[in-house]
Amino acid sequence: MNLQARERREAKIFLVGLCVFLALMLGFPSLANLWFSLNEVSFHNLTGDGFAGLNNYKEALSNPGLWKALGYSLKFGVIATFLEVSLALIMVFTLHPLLARKPWLTAILMMPMMVSPALMGVMYRLILNEFTGIVPGYLNLLGFHVSLMGRAMVQHTVIAIEVLQWTPFAFLILLTARQSLPYELEEAAAIDGATETGFNFKVVLPLITPAIIIVTFIRFIDSFRVFDHIFVLTGGGPGSSTTSISIYIYKLFFQRSELGEAVALSLVLLFASLVLLYFGMKLAVRKEPS
Amino acid sequence: MSLLKNLSVSCAALAIAAVPVMADITVLAWPGGPQEEALRKVVAHYNETSESQAELLYFSRDNFFDKMLADVAAGSKDFDVMLTATYNVGKYAPFMTPINDLINDEVLSTYPQGAIDTQSYEGNVYGMPTDLSLHFLYYREDLINELLSNAAWKAKYAKISEEYLGTAMVPKPADQWSWDDFSAAALFFTKSINPESPVAYGTVLQLKNLLFNIMIWQGTAASFGGDWRDADGNITVNSDAYRRGLELYKKLIDAEATPADSLSYEYAEANAAFGAGQVAFYTQWSAAFAEFIKPGEYPAIEGNFDITRQPAGDLGPKTHYHSLGLGINANSERQDEARAFLSYLGSNEAMEMYLANGGQPPVVDAIMNAQAGDRPDMLMMADHTAKYGIVMNGGASSVALGIYSNMAENFTAYWADEMDIDAAINNVTEFMEEEFAK
Repeated sequence: MNLQARERREAKIFLVGLCVFLALMLGFPSLANLWFSLNEVSFHNLTGDGFAGLNNYKEALSNPGLWKALGYSLKFGVIATFLEVSLALIMVFTLHPLLARKPWLTAILMMPMMVSPALMGVMYRLILNEFTGIVPGYLNLLGFHVSLMGRAMVQHTVIAIEVLQWTPFAFLILLTARQSLPYELEEAAAIDGATETGFNFKVVLPLITPAIIIVTFIRFIDSFRVFDHIFVLTGGGPGSSTTSISIYIYKLFFQRSELGEAVALSLVLLFASLVLLYFGMKLAVRKEPS
Repeated sequence: MSLLKNLSVSCAALAIAAVPVMADITVLAWPGGPQEEALRKVVAHYNETSESQAELLYFSRDNFFDKMLADVAAGSKDFDVMLTATYNVGKYAPFMTPINDLINDEVLSTYPQGAIDTQSYEGNVYGMPTDLSLHFLYYREDLINELLSNAAWKAKYAKISEEYLGTAMVPKPADQWSWDDFSAAALFFTKSINPESPVAYGTVLQLKNLLFNIMIWQGTAASFGGDWRDADGNITVNSDAYRRGLELYKKLIDAEATPADSLSYEYAEANAAFGAGQVAFYTQWSAAFAEFIKPGEYPAIEGNFDITRQPAGDLGPKTHYHSLGLGINANSERQDEARAFLSYLGSNEAMEMYLANGGQPPVVDAIMNAQAGDRPDMLMMADHTAKYGIVMNGGASSVALGIYSNMAENFTAYWADEMDIDAAINNVTEFMEEEFAK
């Protein structure tokens, strides 16, 4: 047996544990959900009142509320992801020299990411409150009387909170990619007379493109299924103006007791996310320099 | 002799073992606030006097009922006694054990029959009531008194009411207000309309897409004669009463007589606005009173506010009311112990202690009057429930929670200019027809 074959065999053995774990933790719930989605289930009878076939899927996809929630999630996901990845890139380009010398500063920048999103929502309920919040307080002192949770601003506010919390994640991934580039590249560029801006755009950016693609896909999927802070801050309202697809499914499940429909929709979204991630990975891997 | 002695000891041991020993139980209760504080005292006393010990379990308030629903539907036995409320007793009834036989003379000397009825569904009682909730008008006494006595303010009040409401109105004491008086005063005390107002806003409305906010609002529709259904079960939301109630709020929102952020406000935010001294009056849950009278907590309004009935519509003042209670999880294997605990909870002794420690139990006048000196809000609660209390037709059914949520989504959409009033009412009507047909 040659070395390559032996390594491949060992890799398979080591993967067994992970596969068993995934089968138990993801496979079983997925199969159970598949079963729920194909049956008429209710809180009173979780074992099902009968086989529903694809009815739950049909009902879920024909509900106009779904398309509105999908539209909102898509808009939220695209804007938040664009802002997060752009800000993270700017931060990587500007902070990399400093963080190379003082890596402990990275930990401070990661702090927003460590707060649970639901808690983040609660924090912003306090911070943004017109009467007791610190942000409206300072804005008033500066002469800006803005209602950050009012009709005109609420959409921007919930996106801003998402960006503030998750830009550090994008930053961390891109910083790691940047730091993995050999120092010799910088030396060579300097000898060739490249400016810092030129080096960043012509050398660093192409080399970290795979990381940018991956982080974009991960952040998009995560932002697309946003739930916690919006639910805490607005409850999906006013009306359904901030109802993301996750909030829509939650309400379908608990408030309308349409269990089968909600689970069917979850599976459709899971499948869509997997397809998206698959193509993202393919794109990223293909872009990787040989 | 020794053999006889040994036999005697063995027999005694067997006899003791044969006596059923009561197991300990877990009580899933409403977390936080005066309710938790009061129940902890009552449970501590129960544990001192009973061989079965009760342990309290608390989820967080956020989506409490959803979490409890998931647990009971999955057959959880982790708690023996569970929470119930008037507006969802129908939803949880299939997962609970009826306690009709516990409603004896002792219990009826603690609660009036009306309070027991708030925990009933389709002829069965499912919970022992612990807390009553309804709405009051909270208002700043200094501001309203000044409005009633200051000639310049009165003239301005007439001018503003004529401009915004089409009639030159005369200020009245808060306990005589109609919804028109409420609107006129809200506009008058709003700084952007009346720069001389000592507060920023006349009122603060709670408009977050949340079912509890619709409970507050629906007193408005009910006071104009609105109800969910008529006696034949027809949906009656598409009515003049509902339109008037909805439009009244819309007018105040558009005039910015309530903070623009109100569309994300619920209980805590509204309290913060009033407690900060920036709002002249508002309608709020009765529980807020206990918070506002805590010394030093709200210095801006301390000793300077009062409560009264909600403003009146054509049918007089109306307030939504409900009770929270504790009932038995049908999955529990300790039914006898849970019943023993609920029997104790329904005793005069337990509810007196609960009331004295900050709870808001819907108890009989005799118990209530004994505590009246310390808790003036409690006397008003009993009085207002009897005089003005409403439960919508279908408001305790298994679909009530979903209907409240649907109303919250559609009515807040109307208030936020996302939808016109016809679309909002039609959406709610269609949803209710569908739900009640299930």
